[in-house]
Amino acid sequence: MRQVALNTHISGTFNIELENLRNSVLTMGGEVEKQLVDTLKAVKHNHAALAEKVVLNDLKINSMEIQIDEECLRIIAKRHPTASDLRLIMTISKAITDIERMGDEIERIAKLVTRNKLPSSDTIKSSMLLIGERVAAMMRGTFDAFARQDEAAALEVYDQDNRIDSEYKRLLSYTTSEMQKSTEDMQDWLDVLWAMRSLERIGDRCKNVCEYVVYLTRGTDVRHTPLENIQQKLEDLT
Amino acid sequence: MLKLFEHNTLNVNDINKDQTAVEVKNLSLWFGNKQVLNDISMRIPRNKITALIGQSGCGKSTLISCFNRLNDLYDGCKYEGEIIIDERNINSRKVNVSRLRTNVGMVFQRPNPFPMSIYENVCYGLKLQGVKIRRHLDDAVEGALKQAALWDEVKDRLFESAHALSGGQQQRLVIARALALKPDILLLDEPTSALDPLTTLFIEELMDALKKQCTIIIVTHNMQQAARVSDYTAFFHQGRLIEYADSDTLFTMPEKKQTEDYITGRYG
Repeated sequence: MRQVALNTHISGTFNIELENLRNSVLTMGGEVEKQLVDTLKAVKHNHAALAEKVVLNDLKINSMEIQIDEECLRIIAKRHPTASDLRLIMTISKAITDIERMGDEIERIAKLVTRNKLPSSDTIKSSMLLIGERVAAMMRGTFDAFARQDEAAALEVYDQDNRIDSEYKRLLSYTTSEMQKSTEDMQDWLDVLWAMRSLERIGDRCKNVCEYVVYLTRGTDVRHTPLENIQQKLEDLT
Repeated sequence: MLKLFEHNTLNVNDINKDQTAVEVKNLSLWFGNKQVLNDISMRIPRNKITALIGQSGCGKSTLISCFNRLNDLYDGCKYEGEIIIDERNINSRKVNVSRLRTNVGMVFQRPNPFPMSIYENVCYGLKLQGVKIRRHLDDAVEGALKQAALWDEVKDRLFESAHALSGGQQQRLVIARALALKPDILLLDEPTSALDPLTTLFIEELMDALKKQCTIIIVTHNMQQAARVSDYTAFFHQGRLIEYADSDTLFTMPEKKQTEDYITGRYG
């Protein structure tokens, strides 16, 4: 594993620019993580005001995405980065798209709380919250792996998505069977399904960011590759 | 909304007189019958790095040579318009050119140390000004060499010939020689074109440190260098100023097609 050293360029300004860029991603990630935690809290306690705050905060995340993208563009135009510096900037440019989409998925769940469209079934709600906790842990792990440029940690987090996917499938199957019992509130049921789907999608987005971390440290593209093949690919590289 | 990045570069149109180091007003210049500069007007901001770019023969070197009246040395050179430095039009006949050149230092493409010791090179200008006290000269030499990031490499061999230094060291020595006179403005005419890429980066880093003390105006053929080091960039073509903007804007979203073509290598 080769970490991208951000502070070893002859140009001190370039060092600062890269450091700031990396930190800005972590700031954005931290905001999205907080949004998820607040949303889960809002779901648990049916806290509409907190959910409203999450919806408003999403604008902040959108603005961060634009600012970071502009900074990537500025650095590419002015510094002509190569090798690991170029990979870092491409990684960041791609990762922030996924992070912003995580924010959108969270906003979608928060909107349900503001409209009081939460699942009435306690079983469904608690299962949703359980998946939510797992997704939050996965998100934390993803940003830690990015901060430390730790591909092993990234792959561990990557693997967690399988568990989230199977729990999501189980919940989906339980929810659809409940739907069949009460078909009157079909729109409400669909909203609940969308919320569950959103949580699962956040896991997928985390997985994408983990793939970028591997690209950053190893320079190899592991997208659309099963985990065992990724590991083999990395072993072949060493 | 949270601001993640701070870039404190003013729009060129917002640079006021107090922030201006050099104000060029309707400057035109001829060598004999050939017009080399055509009605140039621009404000070059204080304590920033401004890059002048453009094809060979576009007038950029001629323009920076106007800032310390170096063009006076050429027969048949005549000019119109004003160049204001420290509230005075330096094109005026009353200007003391020697004093102007002390205040506006210049470094050329090829390092040109004098055939004397490192120490004598740095204090040459001061001695010409009549500084004789050894302690003052010593302090000035040490200060200038430190500013030019050369002190640590030469402090034990100050009295050796300057020609024994490497190309990069010689260029930093020449910069130190200019800095010893504490100029407000430093003109750099392709200062790294004779240097290797790594030494170039060291000189660029030096420029970035020096802009806290003086205004730097650099002529460069290397657009990547202009993008890397400069706060502002002016693009010239056939003696005219085509576009002048902060470098972030000029290198990401130039206003004029001619600039876009030049910086993207589409120039025909």
